[in-house]
Amino acid sequence: MKISDQIIMCLQNLFRRKVRTLLTITGVIIGTCAIVVMISLGVGMQASQDAMLAQMGDLTIIDVNNYSGRTSTGETLKLDDAALRTIQAMDHVEVVTPFYNPSAWGAFTLVSGNGDRYQLDMYQVVGVYPEALEKLGYTLKSGNFLSSTQRDTIEILMGYYTPYDFRDTRKKRNNTVQYWMSDGEDMPDPYVDIEKDKMTLRINNTEEGGNTIDVKVRGTGILEMDSSKGYETGYGVFISVTQLKELEAKYNKLNGIKTDPNSDTGYTSVKVKVTDMKYVEEVQNAIKEMGYDTYSMEDIRKPMEEQARQTQMTLGGLGAISMLVAALSIANTMVMSIYERTREIGVMKVLGCMVSNIRSVFLMEAGTIGFLGGVVGIIFSYIISYIINVFGTGLSLGGGYYYAGGEMVKTSIIPIWLVLLSLLFSTLIGLISGFYPANRAVKISALEAIKNE
Amino acid sequence: MDTIIKVENLRKVYRLGTEKVIALANINLDIHKGEICCILGTSGSGKSTLLNMLAGLEKPTRGHVYLGKHDIAQMNEKQLAKLRQRHIGFIFQSYNLLPALTALENVGMPLLFRGVSKHKRNKQAAEMLRRVGLEKRMKHRPTQMSGGQQQRVGIARAFVCKPEIVFADEPTGNLDSKTTKEVMNIMVEICRQYQMTLVLVTHDQEIASYADRIITLIDGEVVSDVKNHSILDSVQPISEFHEALYQQEQEENAAAEVVGQDQTLPQESAKDPVAPSPEELPEEEVQALETQQTKQTTGGVLQ
Ligand SMILES: Nc1ncnc2c1ncn2[C@@H]1O[C@H](COP(=O)(O)OP(=O)(O)OP(=O)(O)O)[C@@H](O)[C@H]1O
Ligand SMILES: [Mg+2]
Repeated sequence: MKISDQIIMCLQNLFRRKVRTLLTITGVIIGTCAIVVMISLGVGMQASQDAMLAQMGDLTIIDVNNYSGRTSTGETLKLDDAALRTIQAMDHVEVVTPFYNPSAWGAFTLVSGNGDRYQLDMYQVVGVYPEALEKLGYTLKSGNFLSSTQRDTIEILMGYYTPYDFRDTRKKRNNTVQYWMSDGEDMPDPYVDIEKDKMTLRINNTEEGGNTIDVKVRGTGILEMDSSKGYETGYGVFISVTQLKELEAKYNKLNGIKTDPNSDTGYTSVKVKVTDMKYVEEVQNAIKEMGYDTYSMEDIRKPMEEQARQTQMTLGGLGAISMLVAALSIANTMVMSIYERTREIGVMKVLGCMVSNIRSVFLMEAGTIGFLGGVVGIIFSYIISYIINVFGTGLSLGGGYYYAGGEMVKTSIIPIWLVLLSLLFSTLIGLISGFYPANRAVKISALEAIKNE
Repeated sequence: MDTIIKVENLRKVYRLGTEKVIALANINLDIHKGEICCILGTSGSGKSTLLNMLAGLEKPTRGHVYLGKHDIAQMNEKQLAKLRQRHIGFIFQSYNLLPALTALENVGMPLLFRGVSKHKRNKQAAEMLRRVGLEKRMKHRPTQMSGGQQQRVGIARAFVCKPEIVFADEPTGNLDSKTTKEVMNIMVEICRQYQMTLVLVTHDQEIASYADRIITLIDGEVVSDVKNHSILDSVQPISEFHEALYQQEQEENAAAEVVGQDQTLPQESAKDPVAPSPEELPEEEVQALETQQTKQTTGGVLQ
């Protein structure tokens, strides 16, 4: 028999028993809906969690610290440039950079304008590898990132609100630009345009009226504020870590501060960016292995994801029960149809129909019921999902939406993999349910079937 | 003449608990190509059992059935299905048409199993329905037809793929005498036209008179195996009737042939390469055509 004829025969048989076919398909529709809608709720839950976590911090960044300065066996542990090179060489590591804060508080001041009118105390100065910021995912509001080749001039990159920290030394009160009432386009201009105006970095003397050293600096640009990347994007000043250390050394010399190079355990804080979220755990473990302390959003995300998956499984399991009922109903329909068609099948065999053809027609019928039920079930699922999202179910305040850090995430999400998977599943359920009836049909004795009553 | 069915020491015993029912004791038969052969006997004499075994629907307890060169006891389910779909036609007492299908679709059934395309199938089925005089009933379902019409559909279905052998178990068992005559005439006529072998089971001597050869069974044993003309002489009680019938029949056959040629074999069917009319072709061509056809469709299993 041709495959096209088998399909036609299968459809004719289904159509002949319209009501029964429809009822059986309805069972599959309900089963599919139950599974798809349940899982879509789980997916929605997870998506809202992810959105929330993303607000809290970049999921691909690992913070590395060296609190104890010792390995587990008690040896000295350094988090220095050499260690950073080792980390950089690991698989899936996009970039590594120290976040170096000089130990002296208020060591540097930026000055600009006539007679050093405008001044900014650099409290939040951070030393980084100049090429790393862009790779960390920082974005610019204006200007450029620090250039990695520049050696002579000191370059600085500022956080979004940092320029507003310039004080007008001629004023006694209200000596900074008031910006916090404004937003975006309405932002007032700060006193100093750091990309254009001439600026000097002053190394302070702890003694009042003592000698200071002035160094020329150039502002390269201003960052876009991104709370998930840390407050430095708003209020920090970034400098190449090498230049910052040189400045610090000058400061120490000026103020007669002595440092012990032996007690130095390197950077206290380092950030590692991993190429993809899925490698975070692997890289984090490797760094832990080296003896450092690590922290990433993965530490929060993992247990949350685990919980979300369990919820999804529970919900999907509930749906699966109704699918099981649907499977039994398909099997029942097919067995009944065999009883009715015994004679017909016998005649077909006598007329030379291959048993393989009989089997495949039966399997096709069962599979078609499953498939059609799946298709219609998915359509209904989309409608139900839409209703949940628009009218809500009391799951959250915003109707059918979760609020995750200002961003709205749907309560019910049906991803394409769920559509394909449930289609496959319902068809498979049909085929499996049809397996036993098809084999019974094949075993019908042609002779018994055609014997005259 | 070529032997197409050969039966050797065939025995069939049914066991019902401890009891043995000997349906067929020990049968030896040769049936020739083109023969119209009737198995005659009373109820329970083993006719149906024999027929079913010839068709490979049942396994013998002992002995062999050869169709052509093939021992059907040696064939598996799949080979038997192939054999049936290519070489064997079946006519049932209770017609056994599929109720959901039209006459045309029912007749096309064996072709469907052979994988013939729908277009070709319908063409051949329509041709066959015309041959049995049902050109006006093609789109009718079995429930919309009389018994005689249904059996004519059954006949068309059995003959549609021009099988070498057609088996018929009491094909007229459910029909009245007038319809029986019509149906028998059609069957015999088509068999003759295509030189098919027909094995016919009946308990009715009247029907046996249509056959070339009459094999009589009693209690699973062949008690007589005679050519038809002799049975007309020997079977006294109905011989007069038969004589008359035979005469009438000859006339009818002749008439039907003429009518048949006028009606059912117009130019279009003569041109049709699928169903050539053998009478219209020279002997060698028929032969060549048949071998070609068998090569295509049968692989020459029975040749
Ligand atoms: N499946 C079976 N099981 C047991 N015995 C059977 C079976 N089939 C047939 N028989 C027996 O075999 C014998 C022959 O049966 P069969 O059907 O061949 O008779 P028949 O000549 O066709 O009769 P009828 O004209 O009534 O159809 C009977 O005695 C019957 O009881
Ligand atoms: Mg019988």
